[in-house]
Amino acid sequence: MQTKIPQTAAVMSALLRADFTTLWRNRRSLRLVLLVPVVIVISWKGMVKMMGGPYVIAGGITIGLISIGLLGYTNSIARDRDKGVFQRLRVGPVAAWTIMCSRIMVQIATIMAMTIAIFAVGNLVDKIVLSPLGYLTGFFAAVLGGALYLSLGQLIVGLIKNPETVNSTTRLVYFIFIMVGMLGNFGVLGDVVKEMVQWSPYGVVNRMIGTALQPETWNLQATYALLATLGYTAIFGILGIRFFKWN
Amino acid sequence: MSNQQRAILEVDQLSVSYGSFQAVQRVSFTVESGEIFGLLGPNGAGKTSTLSAIEGLLRPQGGQINVAGFSILDQPLYAKANMGVQLQSTSFQAELNVAEIIRLFSGIYGRELSPAEVEEKLVEINLQDSATKRFGQLSGGQQQRVSLVISTIHDPQLVLLDEPTTGLDPQSRRQLWDRIEAIKAKGHAVLLTTHSMEEAEAVCDRIAIIDHGRVIAIDTPEALIAAHRNDPDVIAVCRKGKITLEDVFIGLTGRAVRS
Repeated sequence: MQTKIPQTAAVMSALLRADFTTLWRNRRSLRLVLLVPVVIVISWKGMVKMMGGPYVIAGGITIGLISIGLLGYTNSIARDRDKGVFQRLRVGPVAAWTIMCSRIMVQIATIMAMTIAIFAVGNLVDKIVLSPLGYLTGFFAAVLGGALYLSLGQLIVGLIKNPETVNSTTRLVYFIFIMVGMLGNFGVLGDVVKEMVQWSPYGVVNRMIGTALQPETWNLQATYALLATLGYTAIFGILGIRFFKWN
Repeated sequence: MSNQQRAILEVDQLSVSYGSFQAVQRVSFTVESGEIFGLLGPNGAGKTSTLSAIEGLLRPQGGQINVAGFSILDQPLYAKANMGVQLQSTSFQAELNVAEIIRLFSGIYGRELSPAEVEEKLVEINLQDSATKRFGQLSGGQQQRVSLVISTIHDPQLVLLDEPTTGLDPQSRRQLWDRIEAIKAKGHAVLLTTHSMEEAEAVCDRIAIIDHGRVIAIDTPEALIAAHRNDPDVIAVCRKGKITLEDVFIGLTGRAVRS
């Protein structure tokens, strides 16, 4: 009897359908993940005149990306690994990368939805209007920034096996990123911290998105932020995959 | 070897170790088409490691495993396409319902089912009213039925069942035995692990007893009983005068409780 292995497209389609269904059924927690950046954009309305619309939008998107990468992706991977969901998938004729690729694609779709939501809230509530090119480049910068936080999540779930420890670690990292990132960026914590924050994963993503939202202002600093984002993503991703255990 | 009795699973000199601990040492056996083969052993004997290596979940330190002629090491996807697996503790995405789980795995095995075909599968296992239930809402017996239908969804030549009847009531267990025998009747091979000697005697054509990572006996249940009925260790553990497979098992593996 001739053996046929399923086509990658068919496998991906089945996995994506299941992963999107899972995401949809978890829409309550998804709403909570999206709520924080939306609230940030609304509450920063007063800063639009002072700092500019792109700054507010970039801040909201950056926080949303941290939420999705650290709270959404990482915890779902840790939970499913612990429950043996991956084991069950891996005994099938499925290349391991398709399982992870499907998960990541669902998160990227979430990132896209969050970015559009922030653009809409920024426009409707804060009256922030960007050029069409600004929306487009900002959108791609958000996806790129999202990759950094997904790879950071991958690193956490690669280094830590216990799902409860993963959960508490991601919450701690999330809190540190938000508090130190926001306050440090404002200069509240001093110049040294401000400089550190600007080159941290928070700072580089924030700067890259902020400049991408107004592409006419793209400069060398933004290019450095882009390169740093790619560098962080590569390092976190490689280490995260290297240390990741499926069971 | 005739066409009806060909080796579907060939395990040759399999060795698995975790650091310096050798969990499986040069284990060899074959499972033929139309055969139910039982792998028995006390806790920690090496059954799960052997099964995990066959399933491709861990890479052995030595030996060869072929499924339907495909090496699990060199052609894992081809080997897995010929294999259906029911893991000891099956878990599916908690958010998916039973019909969605069946659709997911039909896609993964390249046998995409339409909603009507999924319904047919559910009727087959008497769960037509549970299509929209989550897996966790099913009873143990219902969960096993879903797991079994998923492991055979692609009509594999080899079905691996890891302690399939653990925790089931007698009715569910008998029903599962019937389903396992139906797989055999189709000419497929079944490898199952179990702690129930009654189950091994009832459904297995041949069994291998594994202990401390080595196969210490391999034969039909009747032949094993006949071969060891006069062993002093077996007679010493016999409880009701008639030597059973459990007596042989305890006689060969010892009375000490394993962790």
